[in-house]
Amino acid sequence: MSEKPATDHGRRNFLKKTSLASMLGVWGSHEVVRIQPAPAIITPQTKRRDGMNIAIIGFGPWGREIAETLGQVEDATVAAICDNYPNMLRRAQRSMPDAATFNDYREVLSDDSIDGVIVATPTHMHRQIVLDAFDAGKHVYCEAPMAHTIEDAAAIARAAQAHEEELVFQVGLLYHTDPQYRSVHQFVRSGATGNPVFARGQWNSKQSWRRVSPNREREIAQNWRLDADVSTGLMGEIGIHLLDTASWYLDELPTSITGFGSIAQWDDGRTVDDTAQVVVTFEGGSNYFLNLTLASSFEARNEVFHGTSATIMLRDSKGWMFKEVDAPMLGWEVYARKDRFYKDKGIALVANATQLDAQDMEPWEDDPNAQTPLWHALSAFVENFQFGPYPAAAGYLAGYQSNVFAIKANEAVIQDGKIDMDPAWFELT
Amino acid sequence: METVRVACRAMATRFEIILQGEDPVRLRAAGEEALAEIQHLEAQLSFYRPTSALSRLNAKAAQSPVKVDARLFRLLQRAKALHAQTSGAFDPTVAPLMRCWGFVNNTGQFPSSQAIDEALARTGMRHVRLEAKTRHVTFEQPGIALDLGGIGKGFALEEAAWVLRDLGVERALLHGGTSTICALGAPEGEEAWHVALSYPDEVDSHTPESVITVVALRDEALSVSAEHGKAFVKDGKTYGHVLDPRTGWPVDGAAMAAVVATDATATDALSTALLVEGENGQSILDASPTIRSAMILCHASDTTYDVYLRDLSVQPELVRVNQVVPI
Repeated sequence: MSEKPATDHGRRNFLKKTSLASMLGVWGSHEVVRIQPAPAIITPQTKRRDGMNIAIIGFGPWGREIAETLGQVEDATVAAICDNYPNMLRRAQRSMPDAATFNDYREVLSDDSIDGVIVATPTHMHRQIVLDAFDAGKHVYCEAPMAHTIEDAAAIARAAQAHEEELVFQVGLLYHTDPQYRSVHQFVRSGATGNPVFARGQWNSKQSWRRVSPNREREIAQNWRLDADVSTGLMGEIGIHLLDTASWYLDELPTSITGFGSIAQWDDGRTVDDTAQVVVTFEGGSNYFLNLTLASSFEARNEVFHGTSATIMLRDSKGWMFKEVDAPMLGWEVYARKDRFYKDKGIALVANATQLDAQDMEPWEDDPNAQTPLWHALSAFVENFQFGPYPAAAGYLAGYQSNVFAIKANEAVIQDGKIDMDPAWFELT
Repeated sequence: METVRVACRAMATRFEIILQGEDPVRLRAAGEEALAEIQHLEAQLSFYRPTSALSRLNAKAAQSPVKVDARLFRLLQRAKALHAQTSGAFDPTVAPLMRCWGFVNNTGQFPSSQAIDEALARTGMRHVRLEAKTRHVTFEQPGIALDLGGIGKGFALEEAAWVLRDLGVERALLHGGTSTICALGAPEGEEAWHVALSYPDEVDSHTPESVITVVALRDEALSVSAEHGKAFVKDGKTYGHVLDPRTGWPVDGAAMAAVVATDATATDALSTALLVEGENGQSILDASPTIRSAMILCHASDTTYDVYLRDLSVQPELVRVNQVVPI
């Protein structure tokens, strides 16, 4: 691919990323809190390539979400969709009429017009596709967890490492590229919340997790998440994102994981638990409590990091800080908007639509560039293709370590017991 | 034959799907996938979420053309066609007027003539340009905003029904907030799904006397719009939240309008338009070839209604019906 002359695009993108969070403090002191700007993800300033032609391999629900989101990413084109199930290709033709459709990923990889692939197949199928994609010279975005075994995760990570000079690799740990999560990460790492006390996370969503198809053979394949032989369970498929965030925010790896699992609602012959909990002890001695269930939807998803000076809560795209009454004043919180949660007052770290409406602003006027975590992740992938390759915010090492963490968490849940973590497991040799 | 019910909250209402078939586990799985599609569409089409594709349009389309995905573009094309079919009585750009009258989050406020004129200048589907070759959308007037709430539920149910059919479900009833209903096939042993339409002020009574008519649905959709909820009184006059997008003023069109057609997106839009037009809505029915039947309820007195019907019949001995007029 020929190199283009240097342009201003690199610096514009650099500025966009560093100024986003600092912009949050500019719009009215009673709305949002001025917090540390998110650190820049990219540093190169030379645009080497223009638009990116992308193939999505795996057109299940998440593959479809990726396809629609890519439609809003500048310079990205969904050039091809691949799925081994004809019904999915029919859906692809309906929703993405401009994209070519394939039922064999190897045909996609042999197409020179395809720059990169997004691997969104069932987890246990990632390895071969990713390795073949690297061999074909394609840039790769691989969904998280990368693999259902540590061996496969290591194989993917090592291949990414071997190709890092010429090919982009990014894993689908969305929050590493999300400006809100990155800004709060800086906030926590700056010590503003004091010493870590404990943290907790949850993901509650009442659903059976079953998939159905008129084709019985396909139906068995579609229900891989409920197949104990290949599934990493709730901890792998869902928990990985929360476990990863905890590790990232604390900047520590786990030293032990104690797991609990049960079937609370969906007693339909499945062997994969519909409710899973872990208690994780981190290197610094603090514990993280994670609850995941398919049996109750109350309070959906949230993450709470308790510190000796303040507690941070993250819900959807919003964050709040709850200060201890004896914590030192930071100054700006006097002006910040506060939301009441029962008896506690949370200092809003991000504005929301209700507040905006009270000021007669439309929802999109607060941040006309507001986007989902998935959009930010896919944008980062495309930008890395254009300006890189450079180490991704969610690269192979983060992908590998979070994968190990999630697999071990799932093992602890299955055993209903404790696993002492060997630091060597997290090393990519 | 088993019956399974699944539900979720989306678009500020409760969506429910009733499925019939042999295997309840597989029925539930199919229902969940259909509900997931509804929630996905909410994320894409929400007026209130800054991250939705619609919000991106509203933020940027007045400055430069915005490319949208194929499904959203097709929906916008349908919205434009429905706007034309209803001679503007249905208009998804009505948000500035709703805000002007205080109906977005409050119970209403009486605006000045100037405010209405300014809001009217920012209303009108004619200002939305759709470029079919590139799927670009442009707003040719600053301040234009698309709010697809008037067809969102119907469209979501249509897409959910498509998912169910694709998964092999043959008998199901889907609804969003009970005001938009989509019927797949019919229940076991019956010709159709039967839906009772009650007087708008008796929807919660569930008595036989409260039922005006029963609609039989098979592979069809039904939407009901009614004048309820937000209203305020000024100088002895009540101003409801049903606005005529063409004049910018609340109307006393109809108390309730119901439409049956093959697609739920159309029934959603058309029931809204009939609420605006009231008894003059016959032209809308004549212009819409997919409408099978309709009912328009207009106030005859404080307690009675004039009922305008097309291909529907009322229950016998209705004391609250002043007259029945075929249209």
